[in-house]
Amino acid sequence: MERGGPVAVRRLVCIALLLLGFCGAAVPASRVLVLVVRADSPVVDLDSVTLRKLFLGVPVLVNGKLLHPIRNRSAEHLDEIFLQEIVGMSQSVYDRQILGGVNRQGWRPPTEANSSAQVLAALYEDQQAVAFVWQSEIAHDPRVRVVRILWSE
Amino acid sequence: MRSPGLLAAALCWTCIASADPLQHEFLLLPSAEAVGTFDRQAPVTQVTDEVLKLDSIFSLQKGSFKVFGEYLVSDHEGDLERFQLGWQVSSDTVIWIGRYHQPTSIWNHEHHHGQYLQTSITRPAIDEWEDLGGILPQHFTGVLVESSKQVFGDWRLHVAAAGGIAPEITSEGLEPFDLVHPSHDRQRLGYQARASLHPGEFTETGFGMIVANDKLPQVGPQTPEMVGLDYVDLRLVGVFGTYAAQSWKVLATAYYANAQLFYTGSEISDHFEVGYVQAEWRLRQELGVFARLEGSAHASDSTYLDLFDEFHRSRQLGGLRWDFARRQALTLELGRTHTLQGAFSDVRLQWSAAVL
Repeated sequence: MERGGPVAVRRLVCIALLLLGFCGAAVPASRVLVLVVRADSPVVDLDSVTLRKLFLGVPVLVNGKLLHPIRNRSAEHLDEIFLQEIVGMSQSVYDRQILGGVNRQGWRPPTEANSSAQVLAALYEDQQAVAFVWQSEIAHDPRVRVVRILWSE
Repeated sequence: MRSPGLLAAALCWTCIASADPLQHEFLLLPSAEAVGTFDRQAPVTQVTDEVLKLDSIFSLQKGSFKVFGEYLVSDHEGDLERFQLGWQVSSDTVIWIGRYHQPTSIWNHEHHHGQYLQTSITRPAIDEWEDLGGILPQHFTGVLVESSKQVFGDWRLHVAAAGGIAPEITSEGLEPFDLVHPSHDRQRLGYQARASLHPGEFTETGFGMIVANDKLPQVGPQTPEMVGLDYVDLRLVGVFGTYAAQSWKVLATAYYANAQLFYTGSEISDHFEVGYVQAEWRLRQELGVFARLEGSAHASDSTYLDLFDEFHRSRQLGGLRWDFARRQALTLELGRTHTLQGAFSDVRLQWSAAVL
């Protein structure tokens, strides 16, 4: 009995770890934000500086064609990630950059989508569109392609 | 004028034929301002007591081509300030044809006519618009090229070069070429260039220089100072710099101007220097203070500046800006101005906003 106790505890710990492992595998899948384009998009990769420019409204051309950024605003949490990880500035500074770009050169700010369905619909329609969505929302969707992971929890 | 027309037509056709979706953008910048002057010793103060303005910015884009414009309506005027056909050659270069704000005015090229986007209510006298007594030509009709390039590692070089029909000198001051009602007076051209270096892609901090050569013909009725004047050859060189920290910013500009005035049978050459320093400090997210010093040298000896009664040879001002709601601000500004004929003080209150 003296030896059986630790074995049972070890088993319990193993089961708990396995369960955690399963849960752990499930959580990241819904908490990974990815940069996506339409499957036939000319975009292969976008470095962080180009991505920042794109979402600040600065014209970005790939193969001579302008890219169209779509800002996913389907959740408040996404706004925080967008400001911190993609454009790297506060909401007020971002706002001034956007207004300044429109005023100086007529730069187009990103199109805003208020639901994931809107983001995906815009992506399906536009070969030049670039957006960010939760990885879980596009799992096994052959019509879109992940360019890279932007953020994960 | 045939070649630019053909070029514009070719641009339009390429734009229409492109398979890209047509996209548009519209920005409104309304403002209302009340001004009071006191301690007046100047005959002309260039101050209008109340001003209501609506600045509209619009762009239509199809692929790499766009139509871009700015129309300003106020309780005093309505003008098509900018109207440009643009071709985005690459991510970093755009070529414009049309009526543009010349790139050697650092202030105007950044803020244009919208009041909300500038911290102070007034702009420096050297950057004042032609119809408000400005001494330098600001609106040209021609070609403007803007580009940027990464240099010295992470530094960024921004350049702009332009050439186009220059404003005329009239008895009312400078008058730019009007696209809506084009004049058939003789036209002369002006050329401008600007280059600046910035330590990063997204920072305001940077420094640079400008150079311009504008020929300004005199047309129409003449004031006593203009009798016999044919045209002015205005040459400008200048330096500028901005340092922007998290909560404060300083910007400074200095110009040297050489003006050659060609009269019937004679010629006068003069020069003057002008400059300003503006400091802005954000006390809290929604509250900021600012101050600006403007000065000039050889202004009172300048024959060219004699053509402009309202020129501010020096000014000191300070103020407070409160961003009280999303994209809305209230600004209070106090200033003391010395013109070529006297001095006055003024207090201004402005509401401004942006609607995108």
